[in-house]
Amino acid sequence: MTKVGLPRALLYYQYYPMWRTFFEELGAEVVVSVPTTRAVLAAGSARVVAETCLPTKVYCGHVLTLVDKVDYLFIPSIRSIERNVYNCSKFLGLPDLVRGTIKECPPILDIDIDINKGEKAVRNQIHWLGRHFTHNPFKIDRAIRRALAMDELYKQTTQSGLTPPEALQKLGLDDSISGEKRQGRRPLWPSENSDLKIAVIGHPYNIYDGYINHQLIERLKGMEVEIVTSEMVTAGGLDAGTAKLVGKPYWTYEDEVVGAAGYYLDEDVDGILGVVCFGCGPDSLMIDVIQRAAKTRKNKPLMILTIDEHTGEAGLITRLEAFLDMLRRRGSRLAKRGA
Amino acid sequence: MKVTLPHMGNIYVAFSALFRALNIDFVIPPPCSRRTLSLGARHSPEFVCVPFKLTLGNYIEGLELGADTLLMAAGPGLCRFGYYAKLQAEVLRELGFQFQVVDTQPFEGGRITGIAKKIRWLANDAPWPKVIAAVRFALAKIAVLDDLERIIHCVRARELVKGTATKVWQEAIRAIDVAADSRTLHQTKTDYIEKLGSIPIAEDEQPLRVGIIGEFYVVLEPFSNGDVEIELGKLGVEVARTMFVSEWTKISLFLSALGLSPKREIFRAANPYLKRDVGGDGWESVGETVLYATHGFDGMVHLAPFTCMPEIIAQNILPTVSRQSDIPVLTITCDEQMGRAGLVTRLEAFVDLMRRRRRAPLHQGRGLNLAQSRKGR
Repeated sequence: MTKVGLPRALLYYQYYPMWRTFFEELGAEVVVSVPTTRAVLAAGSARVVAETCLPTKVYCGHVLTLVDKVDYLFIPSIRSIERNVYNCSKFLGLPDLVRGTIKECPPILDIDIDINKGEKAVRNQIHWLGRHFTHNPFKIDRAIRRALAMDELYKQTTQSGLTPPEALQKLGLDDSISGEKRQGRRPLWPSENSDLKIAVIGHPYNIYDGYINHQLIERLKGMEVEIVTSEMVTAGGLDAGTAKLVGKPYWTYEDEVVGAAGYYLDEDVDGILGVVCFGCGPDSLMIDVIQRAAKTRKNKPLMILTIDEHTGEAGLITRLEAFLDMLRRRGSRLAKRGA
Repeated sequence: MKVTLPHMGNIYVAFSALFRALNIDFVIPPPCSRRTLSLGARHSPEFVCVPFKLTLGNYIEGLELGADTLLMAAGPGLCRFGYYAKLQAEVLRELGFQFQVVDTQPFEGGRITGIAKKIRWLANDAPWPKVIAAVRFALAKIAVLDDLERIIHCVRARELVKGTATKVWQEAIRAIDVAADSRTLHQTKTDYIEKLGSIPIAEDEQPLRVGIIGEFYVVLEPFSNGDVEIELGKLGVEVARTMFVSEWTKISLFLSALGLSPKREIFRAANPYLKRDVGGDGWESVGETVLYATHGFDGMVHLAPFTCMPEIIAQNILPTVSRQSDIPVLTITCDEQMGRAGLVTRLEAFVDLMRRRRRAPLHQGRGLNLAQSRKGR
């Protein structure tokens, strides 16, 4: 069986169920890299120039763990999925960057997704991708339909209040841990006795990669905090949030940050925690927009955590604890004033 | 109404010609300086690229001189650039300045008529023929500037008294800026070509030749790149670049608006390494390296603003290009922390390396990227 490698990084948290369904429908075996570890990050960092952003370094590390395990690597170049809204350069150049820095890499399936060239062009690209596995166009069409259905199901699951890793677990797609280990793990869904609700905003590849952010999400849940993210907002809600803060969207995955921030700034949450990585081009401007908006509103505490491969765990925890303390004290003060 | 605009190399010469011809009141901010940069950096988001910081500084200095209308470039594109106008206007408002914004869209989706309409609006609806004539004269000025700059590059590497060409160049810019009509402009061009021709040079010198590539703003704005071309000239290196203000204007304002891409050759050359546009000038950087190598250049200097993603992609791919095309590449990251001494030291080392390669042609030294020399070789 042909093996297709999917790195557990960047767009994995958004599209894994869809991509996996597509390839499996075509009779391929999907191999996902193991969750990020120190070794994965170190291997990735060693291949690219120092200025490269953290998620891309992580991505290269994941590719390296897959090179001798698969026949193909699936690395799409996603330029645009909405008219006149473009993606960050790293998503455009990803296949070329991997090819240029990782010589031992197996053939890369590098389709170009650019909706500005028309829907037909996108469909042609996907068919080109499918022809590596079958010559039957109807089979490819069916795979596309099933993949889109799976994507819809996945979105509904996250919108019901689950983070992507939780949704993957629920849909039985989480193969990051073996069976018995999963038994012993604490369930991740919202804990009953949380007294704080925090919106965590940022790109999924920064928020859900537990290694690079020192288990931020699980740590927050351990601190009895309920978490909401951009995945739990409907597409309409995100669009409205973006429109509120910046007018017209400018970047493809802007909704995850600006849209979610715009939405949660006026929602019933106790505070907003933004996670960005050092040197992220789009975020450098988007975070500024969000900070300005939060400042004018005054009633919504906002903390920005900047992470990179040098972020120390202790410093991160200290800041997190201070933020939560502040929110809790503020909460009780507001309650007293209300009473 | 008093218009101002940020600096990018000598582009202000064209705009002041345009404004003067159309009787638009304007003020050109002082040239980029340490003050501009520190003003801009102080009020910018921390991790934004240096073009944002410098142009913001320009606006502040322009507003201080009484401007109340800011010409800003905007529009969707593949890098942060399109977001600039929005955020810079917000920062300036927060600083308490009163102004209006006129945004132009020189990039993807930008239409040439759109810009012309904005200019016409600024000129109180001047008749179209007058607007067109003014635009043509402005473009003619940049064309002259660029022609002279090409000669400067050649003289600078060979002149006997270092710095002479640069001095003449400064004079030439001023003379072209004040030239009021086409005839004076033409005369100025002839005069300065002659002046440059009379600078004593080492006739039989075969200077090292270096191609300059990278992100358009840091390539075109000498202050942002630590005057890298002048410094290379002092070291006896002749520089060449495909990116000039006139080219940039022609391509981004006219040809792309008409759907033409004159860069096909560059993109074809880049194809084995980078198959697609990654925004900014990343694609061009890769393609031009291949082309310069085939034209027998001794090395490449790649200029990139700090945290510029398109150039980081190129930077990751350039070591492979460098090895396979056998041409050394030096990447210089430009930001407010860049120091002149460090830059000069790196350039000297790079020049040494190129000299040694030239002296030992049989050695066929493998290309290397200095930034990468410690790893992956």
